[in-house]
Amino acid sequence: MSNESNDRADTAIAIVSTAYLPAVRRNDVTETEMLIAVVDEALGKVGLKRSDIGFSCQGSCDYVSGGTFSFVPNLDAMGAWPPIHESHVEMDGAWAMYEAWVRMQHGDVEIAVALGSGKSSTGDPAEIYLNELDPYYLAPLGPDPVSLAALQARQLIESGKSTERELAEIAARSRRDAANNPKQQVRSAETDVDKLLAEPYLRNPLRKSDLPPISDGASCVVMATARKARELVSRPAWIAGIDHRSEVHNPALRDLTDSPSTRLAAEKAGGVEGVEVAELMAPFTAQEVVLRQALGLGDDVVVNPSGGALTGNPLMATGLVRIAEAAEQILSGGRNRTLAHATSGPLLQQNLVCILEGDN
Amino acid sequence: MSTQTSSTIQFPYKRTLGPVISRFFSELTAQRIVGIRSGERVIVPPMEYDPETGNALEPDFVEVGPAGTVVSWTWVAEPGKHHPLDRPFAYALIKLDGADTNLLHALDAGSEDAVSTGMRVAPRWRDEPVGRIDDIVAFVPGETPEGPAAGEAQDVQTMDYFSTITYTDVLSPTLERYAASMRAGVITGQRCPQCNRVFLGRGYCSVDAITLGEEHEETLPDYGVVSNYTIVTPTPYPGQKETEPFARASVVLHGDEMVIAQQQIIGIPVSEIRVGMRVKAQWFADDARNAAEITSKGWGTVAGFIEGWLPTGEPDEPAEQYMNRVF
Ligand SMILES: [Zn+2]
Repeated sequence: MSNESNDRADTAIAIVSTAYLPAVRRNDVTETEMLIAVVDEALGKVGLKRSDIGFSCQGSCDYVSGGTFSFVPNLDAMGAWPPIHESHVEMDGAWAMYEAWVRMQHGDVEIAVALGSGKSSTGDPAEIYLNELDPYYLAPLGPDPVSLAALQARQLIESGKSTERELAEIAARSRRDAANNPKQQVRSAETDVDKLLAEPYLRNPLRKSDLPPISDGASCVVMATARKARELVSRPAWIAGIDHRSEVHNPALRDLTDSPSTRLAAEKAGGVEGVEVAELMAPFTAQEVVLRQALGLGDDVVVNPSGGALTGNPLMATGLVRIAEAAEQILSGGRNRTLAHATSGPLLQQNLVCILEGDN
Repeated sequence: MSTQTSSTIQFPYKRTLGPVISRFFSELTAQRIVGIRSGERVIVPPMEYDPETGNALEPDFVEVGPAGTVVSWTWVAEPGKHHPLDRPFAYALIKLDGADTNLLHALDAGSEDAVSTGMRVAPRWRDEPVGRIDDIVAFVPGETPEGPAAGEAQDVQTMDYFSTITYTDVLSPTLERYAASMRAGVITGQRCPQCNRVFLGRGYCSVDAITLGEEHEETLPDYGVVSNYTIVTPTPYPGQKETEPFARASVVLHGDEMVIAQQQIIGIPVSEIRVGMRVKAQWFADDARNAAEITSKGWGTVAGFIEGWLPTGEPDEPAEQYMNRVF
């Protein structure tokens, strides 16, 4: 596919602006107020008003926020009177972006907004995550997300596909990158690999450094069709492809050292060839290894320069942050081809891949 | 000082099991573990469909185990309230003898040093089986199952699962000021400089999506007009405390469009509630007011401060004024 800008069809869709709030252990304001701030920032960057938006889609989760229909007050962040065209997914904002992208295929919406938001600070992930598990075979046994991630990490290590040292190196690299990203939460933690390996196990073979923090946050991307995109920014981040695929729910029935759904989604989204930067939603170190290997990313691909979900993990916003960061690599970073990944469900059950391109 | 409010949401689920899970749980009550055949493979725990192809599976069950081999494990040194054992234990992926997939379960091994990949384990059966996955209390090291003598299989068609989540909310700065004002028996709202609408307990304008601060706050009257109502005849369900027909009304505060929904009208029979009726807040006594119902979710509430609304006896506003609205 050519990267010449004048070859982009008028129906091409690009990300033109992104914003996300700093991931923090607890944000004092409400989820709606967080969303107002992040929408203001994303629209402000490109001089748009809410009345310019043809469609918006939010991603959030009632189990995380602890309120029924909590997406209804969240919609106030878009200003919903007079009535607007909008939707909601009970998923990470990355899937809200996917829905908005699908909606834009109709051709009658020039500008759309996708949002992701979550306040994990009000609940205990070990309680909340049980409600996403198979209620017959899994939930009654109480497996918390860290225990599940540890079962995956051990299989990865014992199958020879990774080592505890490699996991510690991923933690150290993520923390060093986070130190340069004021929006990440874990920014001044230990980065010496030997010292990390000397720390005790939290869930053998995982140490604290292999785990994400508990975070509040919100994210937003603004998408536009070709003509509008060129009006709004000099270097749109074109969505070359986006796809998501799912596997069987019960992790015990899967090969946890591979992620065929990620591989398939990447193929359907246009493939990884030429990808310079990949933002992978890997809240646990071992999952970055699984994803990198499943995608076949070479050593020349820069992985998670933002610091990744390992150093800032606002549930329901994290995946969309990956897309925002991969888009910024093109919008403001001068890259030509980047990849964003988001995941949902226990141990990489469902995976979304978005390939973004800049004009050469 | 910040106010924390705590709430616990409970879901008392009762689930039907379908033909495959029902068979698996029924067999567990007789201390047998069955898988289901999919081609050459035996899938345990059994599924209604092949996990890789999605093809529906015939009800071709095959007994496996009861012993098996640990394929992966982790150690839970400090069990929490949702964990199945109250002492340190392992979670393990276990490949039961005769199975081609793994089963997730707890492993009661005593100490972390006693756990390794490749070790042999067998189930410890519950004393009185109920037909759930935790009829196997845990796996234990070795080849020999533990527990009472096996009884007859029960016909298990449903399972109970009680889910509970506790949330601790720390009130936002706006809600903190709002709660303080309500404790003092004063309703405050924030007026939007753009559209002049007033909102209580929110922190922003719902129409214009702009943040409203302390500078936008003003005292609101604690009286107004019933703009709509419904009479609910309660049916029993978990959490329903009402037994007699009751009313829920919307009250528009005097002089503004701020609607407080889901309010009780007190002091009169529900049959006498009218749209247009003038009402005044009945506040709880000072020491009975509490902010437990105020959360960072939703649109603000007077619950915990205002018990209900008493008719003032003044002439009604014309009902027609309130017809063209939802609340
Ligand atoms: Zn307004």
